[in-house]
Order: sequence, then C-alpha cells, then structure tokens
Amino acid sequence: MTKIKVVSFLIVSVLIMAMFVSGCAKKSEPSEETAAPAQKAPTAIDQATVGTITGKISYSGAKPTPKVIHMDTEPACVSSNSGPVYTQDLEVNSNNTLKDVFVSVSGGVDNYTFTVPTTPATLDQRGCTYHPHVLGVMAGQALQVLNSDNTTHNIHPIPKENPEWNTSMPPKAQPLDKKFNRPETMIPVKCNVHPWMKAYIGVVKNPFFSVTGDDGSFEIKGLPPGDYTVSAWQEKLGTQTMKVTVGPKESKTVDFSFKGE
Amino acid sequence: MPETPTPAPEEQDPVTSNSYSVIYLVASVLLILTLFWALYDEVYGLRPWKGYQKEFVSRYLAHLKKLKPQEKGAEEEIKKTEGYQELDRAYKSAELEAAPRVKEIDRQVGLIDDRATALTDTFQTRRSEVSAKIYEIEHASARSKVSLEKDLEGIKKEAPSIELPLLDGSGKREKVSYTFEQLEKEFDRLKGMKADLLSQRLETLKQASDLRKKRDQYLEDRMIGLTEQQVNSLISKMEDFKVEIKQINVPEYGIVDRCESCHVGIREPLVLEAKDMGGEKAFTSHPDNELLKIHDPDRFGCTPCHNGNGRATISAERGHGQFEHWLWPMYATKNAESGCVQCHLSDIVLDHADTLNYGREMYWERGCMGCHRYEGYDKEPEQLLAVNQTLRSLEGQKKEDQKQITALEKESENAATNEEARRLLAKAQEIPMKISLLDAQMEQLDMQSKSLLREQKKIGPNLKDVRLKLKKEWIPVWLEQPTAFRPTTKMPNFRLSQEQREAIAAFVWQSGTGTAPPAQPAGDSQSGKELFETRGCLACHSIGEGSDKTGGTFAANLSRVGEKASYDYLVRWVHNPRERTLPYCPYEKKDITAADYAKHGLPYVFDPDHSKCPNDGHELQVQQTTVMPSLRLSWKEAQDIASYLVTQRRPNASYPAAPFMDDPGLKAKGEQYVKFYGCASCHEIAGLEEEGRIGTELTKEGSKPIDNFDFALQTRKARNESWYTAKGFIEHKLQQPEVYDTGMVKAPLEKLRMPNPHLDDQQRSAITTFLIGSVDSSWPKEIFYNPSGQGKDIQEGWWIVRKYNCMGCHQVRLGQRSVLMDLPRYQNPDWREQLPPRLVGEGARVNPQWLEQFLANPALSMTETDRNGVRPYLKARMPTFFFSPDEIRKLVRFFMALSTQAEPYIPQKLEALSPQETQMARELFTSKAAPCLKCHATGELTHDKSATAPNFLLARDRLKPNWTGRWIADPAVISPGTSMPSNLFKVQEGRYVFSGPLPDIFKGYDKDQIALLVRYMFELTPEEQRQLLSRR
Repeated sequence: MTKIKVVSFLIVSVLIMAMFVSGCAKKSEPSEETAAPAQKAPTAIDQATVGTITGKISYSGAKPTPKVIHMDTEPACVSSNSGPVYTQDLEVNSNNTLKDVFVSVSGGVDNYTFTVPTTPATLDQRGCTYHPHVLGVMAGQALQVLNSDNTTHNIHPIPKENPEWNTSMPPKAQPLDKKFNRPETMIPVKCNVHPWMKAYIGVVKNPFFSVTGDDGSFEIKGLPPGDYTVSAWQEKLGTQTMKVTVGPKESKTVDFSFKGE
Repeated sequence: MPETPTPAPEEQDPVTSNSYSVIYLVASVLLILTLFWALYDEVYGLRPWKGYQKEFVSRYLAHLKKLKPQEKGAEEEIKKTEGYQELDRAYKSAELEAAPRVKEIDRQVGLIDDRATALTDTFQTRRSEVSAKIYEIEHASARSKVSLEKDLEGIKKEAPSIELPLLDGSGKREKVSYTFEQLEKEFDRLKGMKADLLSQRLETLKQASDLRKKRDQYLEDRMIGLTEQQVNSLISKMEDFKVEIKQINVPEYGIVDRCESCHVGIREPLVLEAKDMGGEKAFTSHPDNELLKIHDPDRFGCTPCHNGNGRATISAERGHGQFEHWLWPMYATKNAESGCVQCHLSDIVLDHADTLNYGREMYWERGCMGCHRYEGYDKEPEQLLAVNQTLRSLEGQKKEDQKQITALEKESENAATNEEARRLLAKAQEIPMKISLLDAQMEQLDMQSKSLLREQKKIGPNLKDVRLKLKKEWIPVWLEQPTAFRPTTKMPNFRLSQEQREAIAAFVWQSGTGTAPPAQPAGDSQSGKELFETRGCLACHSIGEGSDKTGGTFAANLSRVGEKASYDYLVRWVHNPRERTLPYCPYEKKDITAADYAKHGLPYVFDPDHSKCPNDGHELQVQQTTVMPSLRLSWKEAQDIASYLVTQRRPNASYPAAPFMDDPGLKAKGEQYVKFYGCASCHEIAGLEEEGRIGTELTKEGSKPIDNFDFALQTRKARNESWYTAKGFIEHKLQQPEVYDTGMVKAPLEKLRMPNPHLDDQQRSAITTFLIGSVDSSWPKEIFYNPSGQGKDIQEGWWIVRKYNCMGCHQVRLGQRSVLMDLPRYQNPDWREQLPPRLVGEGARVNPQWLEQFLANPALSMTETDRNGVRPYLKARMPTFFFSPDEIRKLVRFFMALSTQAEPYIPQKLEALSPQETQMARELFTSKAAPCLKCHATGELTHDKSATAPNFLLARDRLKPNWTGRWIADPAVISPGTSMPSNLFKVQEGRYVFSGPLPDIFKGYDKDQIALLVRYMFELTPEEQRQLLSRR
C-alpha cells in the first residue's frame, strides 16, 4: 500500500513538474537572420549570345517652326554664337525623325549588375546652351560639367529622387565633378541666369541607352537574351514604351512614332 | 469441543476498517498541486515580466550580434573614405614625428627612475629614523630634549656611502656619501626632473592626440547607426542584465510606473522594431525617440501620457488598464496622441503630434466649435462680450464720477470753513483726472473691440446675402443633402423632413437683406482659368470632381459653383470678399443702412478705417466674417475669374421651382427650425446674430464618466462589441450621430440634432483622438506646458497661421509641405520657382518692423496694389488679410520666436563703406562673374520682366544683415531648391572670398567679401542702383 502511495505520489509530482516545465517553455526562438545582401559583383554576360535593338524615332504631324532664342540680354552669349540659336525642345530631322530622344531598356537585364564606366560623362555650357541637350549616364557615373563661355552660368539640376544642387560657375571655371547615384529619367537641368538654357539627364542602372542624333536612329548593343521594355522619351511629347523579346544573337528593330500637336 | 460463540459482528470502526487511502491520495495530490500552483504563481504566474525580461535579453542579444558585423562594415566603409584616411594619415605622421623625442624622453625618465630606485631605500630608512627622533623629541621632557636634539643632529649629519647609477646612460655607477639633507635634495631634484620630462612628453604628443581625437570624431559624426564599440557595450550590458521589476518612481507627482518591466527595450539607444525582436511588439523601442528626449521618462513616467495602470505587473491587460474597474485605460495606438492634450491645452500645432494636430484642425475647419464650445476655439465672441461689458460698466462709472464732481462742487459752496471748501474742491478737481484715465482705458477697450470684431469669423457664408448671391431654387436642394451637390463640403448633412427643409429655405430666403450688387461686364473665362490656377486660389480651394480634383481642402470645392452663384455677386466677391453689403452694429443688434448714415448727415462709407456706428459711435462689423482675403485683383481680373467660375457647372443642371420660399406663412416655422438646428453657429443670419451655441461643451469631454455618455439602447451592443468606452461613443457618434436614437420613440424635435459631418476614417480618428484626450487632468499643473515669453508667442501665433491657412502657400515648419508645392503645375521646374517663399527661419531673415508693415500691406504701396510688394515676379499673390493690429503683433512675434530672435529688434550697426570699398562692391556687383542684377528686380520695367528675385533696394528695411550674409554664402541651406546658386563665395583663410575672377581693385583687400556686399546692399540708394544698371 505505502509503495503504491509513494509511487503514485512520485508519478503525480513528475506529471505536475512536466506540466510546468512544458508550460514555462519559451516561446519560439526568433527566426534565423538572413544575411544582408552584400554589394553585388558585376554579372558576366555571355558575349556569344548577345543581341541588338535598333530603331528609328519617326515624327508625324506639322513640323514645328524652330523658335529663335533671344539672348540679347547677355552680349557674351550673342557673341559666342555665329548665328541665331533655336530652341531644342522638339527638333525634327530632315528625314522626319526626332533628335534628342532618350532610349533606354528595362526588363531583361534588371537582375544584372554592371560596372560603372570610369570615364565621366560631360555636360558643356557653350554658347549659352547645354551640349548635349539630352544626356544619358549610368547611376554612379561621374558627370563633369564645363563652362566654356565667357559668362557666369549656374547649373541647377532639379531631380526628384536624387539630391538637388545649384552651383554658380564663373567664366572658364574649373570643371565641376558631380554624380547621380539613383536611376531617374529624366532630370531637368536649367540655368537660372539664362532661363532658356535647358538640358535633360537620364540616369539609368545599365549601360543600355542611347540618344538619337541627326538621323533619328538608335542602336543598343550587347543585350543578353530576354524580354525587354524599350522606352523612348521626348522632352515635349513624353514617353512611349514597347515590349520586345531579344533571342540569342538576335537583332530586333523597334521603331517609335511620335505625333506632333 | 465447546462451541465457541461466534463473536458478534463488531460494529465496524470506520477509522480502522475503512481505507481512506484514495481520499488521502486525492487530498494530498490536491495539496501538492496547490503547493506547486502557489510556487508557480509566486515565481511566474504573478510575475510574467520575468519571462518577458529573459526573452528580451535573448532576442536583443541575437539582434545585437546580427547587427555587429553590419555596423562594423559601415565603420570600415567610413574608414576607407578620403576624409578619414587624411585625418588618419595626419595623426600617424604627427605620431611618427613625435616618436624620436618621446623615445628620448622615455629613456631619460628610465634613467631617472633607476637612480631614484637606488636612492629610495636609503632615503626612506633615513627619513624614518629622522621622523622617529623628532617624535621622541616632541614627546620628551624638557630635560631630555637637549640630548635628543643632539642625537638628531648626529643622525642628520651621518653620510653613509651609496652607489648610484649615473644619469648619462653610460651604465656606470658613482659612489656618493649624502647627509640626510643632501639625500632629500637629490630625491626632490630627481622628482622634479621626471615631472618636467613627463609634461614635455605630453606636449610633444599633444598634436598627435588632438589629431586622433579629430579622426575618431570624424568617424562618430558619420556613423549613422552605432559604432562597433557601442554595440559591444550594449552586448555586455545585456550579458549582465538583472531580472527585476523596472520601475520609474516620481514621488512629487505620485508616479509609479513599472511598464518597463516588460517593455524593456523602450529606452534603448537604437531603433528596435518588432521585426528586429522576433515579432514581439512589446520589445520595440519607443517609436519617437525625440519625444522621449523632451519628456524624460524619469521625470514624466509613462502613464501620464499613455494612461493605463502603471503599478500593475500581473498581466498585460491589468497593466494596460484594459479592465472594467480601471478608469483610465491605455489609449489605443492610433489615439496615442490623446495623451498630449491634457498638458498641451493651447497648442493648435504641436510637434510630434500629427494626428492630434489634424483633429484640432478638423474641429475648427468642420465647424464643430460652432455648436460645441471648446476652450480656446472661436474665442472672439466671448471676448467681445466681456470687453463690451467692461466698456459699459466703465461708461457707468464715468457718469457716476461726473455726477460726483457736481455734488462736490455744490458741497464746497456750502462748506462750513474755507479749509473744508478747499479740501472738497481739490477732491472735485481730481475726479476729471480719474475720468481721463478711464477714457484712456476705454479707448484701449474700444480698439480691442475693433480688433475682435475684425477677427471674428464664421465657418459658413453670410446668409444675409442669399438673395444677392444664390439661385433661389438651389437652396432647398442643397439643404436636402449638401454632400450630394458637393461631396467635400464642410456643411454637414442634417436629417430634415421635406416640411422642415421648405420652412428653413423660406426663412433663409426671406430674411436675406441688401441690394443687388452692380451689374458686371462679362470677363474672359480662359484668362480667368489661368488666373484662378496661378494667383494662389488653389492653396485653399479645390476644383474638379473625383480624380480630377486638385487644390486645397481649406475652402470650398468650386466645381459646381456656376450652378448656384450669381455672376455679379461673384465678381464683387473675388474682387474683395470682405466687402460687406450692410454694416452690422452689435450694440444695436441690427444692420445699419444708408438711411442711418443719412439721418446723421454722414457719408455712406464703411470699411476698416470707417467703422463707427453713425447712430451711437460704437464699433461696427464692417467686413464679411470670412477668412477669405483680398488678392488685390483688378476689376478686370475679378471679372475673368468669375467668368471662369460660372462655367463650372454640370451642363444639364436644373432645379425645380420653389414657390414656397416666398410664402410668408413659412417664415416663423423656418426660424424655429433654424434656431433648433443651430444654423446661426456657422452662418450669419439676420436677427440671429447673437444666438448661442446649441451643443455640449467638449473641453473636458474625455473625463466624463462612462455612465454619462448616453448610449441609450446601444448599451448592450456596445458592451458586447467592446466599444462601451468614451472612444467608442465618440467614434460611433461621429460616424452616425443618430445611432443613439435607434429604437427610441421620440417626437421629431426630441431627436438628436447633431448632423452627420461625413468624415473619413482618418478625420474621425483624429477628432476622436483630440476629444478623448480632452480631460480634466489629475496630474499637477506644473508639468503642463504653459510657456511664457517666446514659447507663448509661438503658441498664439499658430492659431493665426492656422486660421488664415498660411500653410496653404508657405512652408512654416520643418517637414510641412504647402498645398501649392504638391500641385501638378508646380512640379515643372520653371513653375517650381514660382512657389511662394518658405517661411522657415523667416524671423531670422526679416526686420520685425518691416514685417509688421508688410503684413498690413503686402503690396508695400498705397497706390499700386495689384502686385506683390517683395516678389512682383510671382504669379501667386500674397493677399491682404485685413489682420487686426493684435493679429499682426502676434504673427510678428511668432516668426521672431520661431527663430529665437531677441526682442525688441535693435538693428546691427554696419561699418560705413570707404569710397574705395564702394567702388569695389560696384565692380563686383556688375562683374561678369557675379551677375546679381540679371535676376534681381530693379524697378526698371523692361529689366524686371525677366527678374526672378527681389529688389536690392528692399534689403535695408527688410532684411537683417547677418542673415543676408548667410544667404549669400549658401542659399540652398536656407531655402532648398532656390534659384540663387551656391558656391558664389568660398572660405579662404577664415573669411569669404569670391569664387570667380576678382576685379583688379580687390588686390590687397583682406576683409570678408560677403560682408562687403552686405554693407553695400544696406547702403544702396535708388540713384546708386541706376548707376549700377548703366555700368552693366
């Protein structure tokens, strides 16, 4: 009898102990941390399979008559240009294509990383206009601003997703070294002293971009196979996009057509 | 065998025969269970915080350890930067440079130490012998003293020889015999030499150690998170963590808060979010660290702000006071800012309390204060009443005093003695002086009452003008459901029957007064649209419906204004909204007509400068009681805008005829309803100007015991759904005011009157936050925020800034955006330059005397008013608000206080320019490299067409010289995004010099060149500026 009692007592005690132990058991451990993503190394692209996108930006509608910029208030600007200077917000080439259209791609290369070119992009203030009018750079790429004029400019980019700055550059000033670290299309640039001066900078995260010239065409080489969205931006007419799939070693043509007002 | 009788069956003894083991077992098991239960409760059950603390330590340690490499990485990253490297190099080279000398010093110190060590033993022995002898002498009898003194001399003269190493470092030793005195001297000499060398060492290393400090500071200044070292110290703090009740005890306020026993991480120096702590919300750090810095928990505790039961530790529910018998349950997270209200009673804008600010703003903007008094809101009518009462009693006193003069004079005539007569006359003569003092006091009160009348505003439009302004048939349709016509209107939806609507419409229509405004020629609606969108109307008004809506919410959406308003009235309104049809005399309680003026032979002119009642000389209400300011537009511009506004209508809008509105029989009934529903709280209505508020006062609403909230038949439901709280009552009331009538049998005029304010969730929550926090605080008044001086100036100023919606156009505080800033138009870089100036730091910028004039007359001119005084190039117009002198005073003080400017302002004295300096400044001003006059206006019309900055001629009166210097040095710091470029000047040898090529005349000039320009600007005359322009 006593044995049973002792045993049962023990059993009960053990049970109770077990109950408490389990009752007091800690809540679940905090989940294991995920390692912070390190700075990614550039992704190697298999050069044997790369393709190309080419295209043309055509324009339909009435050809705008170029407007002369009146620089009379600044003799130094007038004298630095041999003839009249025209606005650049909508320049139609002789073959009815558009100049200064910024073409970039997204999609197929979004998971790649690229080394930033070591050579800086240049924006020159010459003849009281910006050269080039539309400029593409990679995020983090050095941008060198020059003042080749015999007058003071202030260079004032007005980004939304990058820090803003506004710097005075006296005649023949030392080049100014700047950069934009975050992709943003497009960043307007202006000079507050000469309000007609406008430029646009497209900051992208890959090296696949192009600005159309006098023939309105563009070519983007070295694209790994994949699905792409091609965007074409024009200062006055806005942005158009098109989807295209580039196969290995394939060359695709993507033509855009902008309509004038 | 004899039969042995079978023993009679014994009566069974229950004690011996029955087995109680089962009962015992059960009982003992129960007992043991109880024991364990008691033990468990003692250790854990009643002390859940123990588990929390242990859990916290383990999770926090895990988090810190995870953080360490990241912080280390960040540290490494900074160490790689050029700035750090440069400092590091400088430090290392300084250290290297100092090294040989330090080594030499260390060597010499070593030699001195060697010699001193060799000396020490002998010196100490000798010194103790001498001390012992001296002690003996001091305690000896006079007789033996003499011989002992001799002994001492002997000891001192002894000179045992010792071997000491030489100081030249040769390692040789010298044999010397030193007397005690010599020993002492040598010892002191060595000590002195060593001290000298050590201080030399410190001097030599000073540069290096300063540089090291600088380098470490550089790292600390740039580390966003904690440094590795700081993380390590946190880790070791956690390793030594003691599990115990963590308590804040502030005996003088009776605060005992144990909240930190579970919320262990609340004051940790790094931001801890639930995800960092394995999802446990209790372990987060306080979400607003800044707030804790202002309200140190060791002084304020936790519960004064959050409510809850700070002493309870047995469960989260008890601690949070979410328990039937605790009267102050913790505020829900989204109402957390309720806790601010009790101490911050007078702050209409409070930092760190956006929800509360929004609630207070809504309480005002939605006109809640019209029916529900709340201390501090809409105080002008009450103050006016008090002022008028005082005025009346002073007038009475004056009459009494005048009577007394006559009485005293009479008394003196009949006085018994000459002396008595003289005394009485002297007394009579003093009374006029007393009256003159009263007159001065009354003058001030009159001015105050004039101010107050001008400050008095109503949320809704003046209904005396309905006949001049509105399409008659529109009124009953509007009354049925204002939101159907204009979803964002401030007018709430009343639950009116058709009969009520008709009677109200008839009353309002028939009580309209005034004569129709003059007919206006049509304007150009296209130009009107442009003006409407650029003059600044959109800072308060919105236009467009649904997703097309753009503009501010402060004033009405004007999308359908063309359906209801008369063109002629609109033109006059846009031209000057404060222009009143008839002045109102609060003394006589009636509108004053031209006939009243004619009766007294006075011209029929009433405006802020002509505000005396022709009948009795009392102050009149000469302005519309709207906050809408005058934009000082020309009549043509007003016509254009009005023409645009009347095009704002739905094409097929039609309203049924409403002949009942002219039925005089409805008027009395209508008036009864208008009074019942408190329409006069928000609108000016003829005959009802002095109507009081119809709702409960809400200043202490949050303190009301729960039983005093009339949940009516919703009580059970509220309890079941657990919203039987002040918060629940208010939220439901705001959502559906008639909810507490549900199921009740009531006559129409017994029903709850409160209209539906149609608030969205955010607005409802904000107003609830404000109201449940409005309590009669039990905390001592000395912890309330009752600032004096500049703190009070800021408090008072915010009320005016809010009242007139200054923040629609301007940024006044950090982190705040104006309405205009976010409009699509101003996203364009060229339009962005058209934004009104930011006013953060305005007090540091402008001279308060100038600001006072500017606020009264933003055109800065009596004749040319259709312009901005300072920035004529801005399309948006700084309006004329017709501020009362009191409001101007408050605003000026507000801006000065926000920038902590000393008051009164004494302008800084500037050194006059020498002729040479004047010439230098001229040349710099007009040099190619500093094209100041390109952008700054000059007053010359052709030039100013392209100007984008203020005229320099304003600087002297308007600006403060110090600010002007800072602005020139780096304008982007003061106003980010400004057109004015940075980098015009650079620091060289502790002064600013121009960054571009300098004119030759600057050769040899060694003073600060920004200061030169500032001094020049503050001396600039129109003549000088004309000269500058011709030079250019």
